[in-house]
Amino acid sequence: MDDIKVGLTPKQRAGNLLGSFGLIAILLIIFGFFSLLIPKLYFTWPNLRDMIRFSSYVGIGAIGMTFCIMTGNFDISVGSMLALAGVLGASVALKAGGIFGVIITMAAATLLGVINGLFVTKLKIPAFITTLGMYFIFRALAYIYTNNNPQYIQDRFWIFLGNGSFLGIPLPIYIMALCYVIAYLMLRKAPFGRYILAIGTNSRAAALSGINVDNIKILVFTLIGVFVGVSAVLNGSMLGAANPGMMGDGYEFQVITAVVLGGTALTGGSGSLGGTLIAAMVIVFLKTGMSNAQVNSYWQQVATGLVLIVAVSLNKLKFWLIGQTQ
Amino acid sequence: MIKFLKLYEKIGIFILIVAASVFLAIVSPNFRNLNTILSIIMQGSYGAIIAFGMTFAITSGGFDLSVEAIMGFTSVIIAMLIPSLGFAGSIIIAILASCFVGFLNGVLITKVGISPLITTLSMQVILRGASLIITNGRQVVISQKSFMSIGASKVFNLIPTPIIYMVVLFAIFYLILNQTSFGRHVAASGSNEQAAKMSGLNVNLIKTVVYILVAFSASIVGVIRTSQTLIGIPTMAPGFTLNVLTIAILGGTSLAGGKGNLTGTLFAGIFISMIYYGLNLLNVQIFYQMLAVGITLLFALFIDGLRMKYLETAKVKGIRV
Repeated sequence: MDDIKVGLTPKQRAGNLLGSFGLIAILLIIFGFFSLLIPKLYFTWPNLRDMIRFSSYVGIGAIGMTFCIMTGNFDISVGSMLALAGVLGASVALKAGGIFGVIITMAAATLLGVINGLFVTKLKIPAFITTLGMYFIFRALAYIYTNNNPQYIQDRFWIFLGNGSFLGIPLPIYIMALCYVIAYLMLRKAPFGRYILAIGTNSRAAALSGINVDNIKILVFTLIGVFVGVSAVLNGSMLGAANPGMMGDGYEFQVITAVVLGGTALTGGSGSLGGTLIAAMVIVFLKTGMSNAQVNSYWQQVATGLVLIVAVSLNKLKFWLIGQTQ
Repeated sequence: MIKFLKLYEKIGIFILIVAASVFLAIVSPNFRNLNTILSIIMQGSYGAIIAFGMTFAITSGGFDLSVEAIMGFTSVIIAMLIPSLGFAGSIIIAILASCFVGFLNGVLITKVGISPLITTLSMQVILRGASLIITNGRQVVISQKSFMSIGASKVFNLIPTPIIYMVVLFAIFYLILNQTSFGRHVAASGSNEQAAKMSGLNVNLIKTVVYILVAFSASIVGVIRTSQTLIGIPTMAPGFTLNVLTIAILGGTSLAGGKGNLTGTLFAGIFISMIYYGLNLLNVQIFYQMLAVGITLLFALFIDGLRMKYLETAKVKGIRV
């Protein structure tokens, strides 16, 4: 951390420490706890490898959401978007082959992102409520399109994307790493990153200083679509099917939790992609640990809800310690 | 345009209802029958009752996404407690427990300062999980058949009881919102929270009471639905929260806060029920209802967006509206 300077009060130091190392500590504690509890199931290389592989599902989708929350907006529709793009792509793959299926999945998700962006900017309504409407519309379309039948994915190329390995490391991990590098460059090295932070800090000031706020917002929602598309391809590949009802169920919740747990302020204006990535891993590490330890799935559900509340409270605590008001 | 929007705000939902009625009366002979109409109003009462509470929440500048989980929570508590506590006891405890959930929502939003979206979304997940834990994932059958009289009987052999509940609750909520100082304070908190605080209102308390009211209304519907099916269902009414939000916004309550329209909410609830009835006539799958509600929400948002935009322009130009 380059902003730990001389002259900080102990409270501010604690806040900075909480912000930068808190999350890694949480990840290590969870990993250590379950490793001691169920070492044979949990503390193994295949399990660790698989947990990171599964992290790509939430991790990649959370990239777009990180941008979105940085601008002070939300997209509730990502889970339904994942399902609709997934079933469209899978049905195409059955007829035209996996490559076309993957392309259609990506294209469909991107298009749905554009539609979200247009509605959000043109309706001038808080994004969460517009996308809440889309959450139901996309899911309904996925049901209607498939007549509520799962679309099986058997194409070898598509299956390979989510399950294959290169040099002993699963492909989804490479894909996730690539997505994060691209997103990092966009956020820190391109004007786009400055624009979204400016919009999140003060939308009106950003508009007055010449930023085309609507266009940037449309781009942000489009990027959500792009990254959800990648997630849909990998998720479909790992599951071997795109199910209109189950695919992406609760996804929006996991993704928002990852972003918030990663330290992005809900009010916009600040955030970190690295935090989102580690938080996505925290979610998967915790979920896998609970499943392996045979925790009742209903308790797991309660736990995921609590994690989000605790994450937001920790964020509040961090900003309170540093002395900023969110 | 402002004139049109003002007009829409007052009578828009009535025009929609009249248009839908004429349409349904033409295409469906069944619709020209008092029992059908009462049944449509009854189907609309569930969403409308919760939307009364939601109207308060939106007026206060927030909203509540946990209502469907509160319905399920109420349902399982009643089903679990009826054998030992009887009707009255189990209903009272279920409603009190739900109100406590509303209180928790309110405290998390006002005292901890977590946004309504995150708080109530998390509460939805937590409460769903808790309801499933209580029943161990099962649906619990209620053996006392007479419990049905609460939600599945008819007054004067004609009017279904849920309609009566809706009318009574409408009267109560309407009086609270429009005739009491509390109602004015809710609107004040929603239109300008800072100003409300400056003028000495206890905004945190007001908002907490609002979330208790939402939970209360959701709990009432939980009781009615449980009585009709005689089953405690932990995952009751998935997706119903969208209906409730749509009804409140379609009824003319602005998402900007500060302005609640309970009459609009009441009729919007009936209108949504008419859409469902119309779709049933077409014999389409249930997914089309989901689609229709989603599209109706976007339409309502479109009107609300127009209104905000023109009100802003009017403010800039100094026009009084």
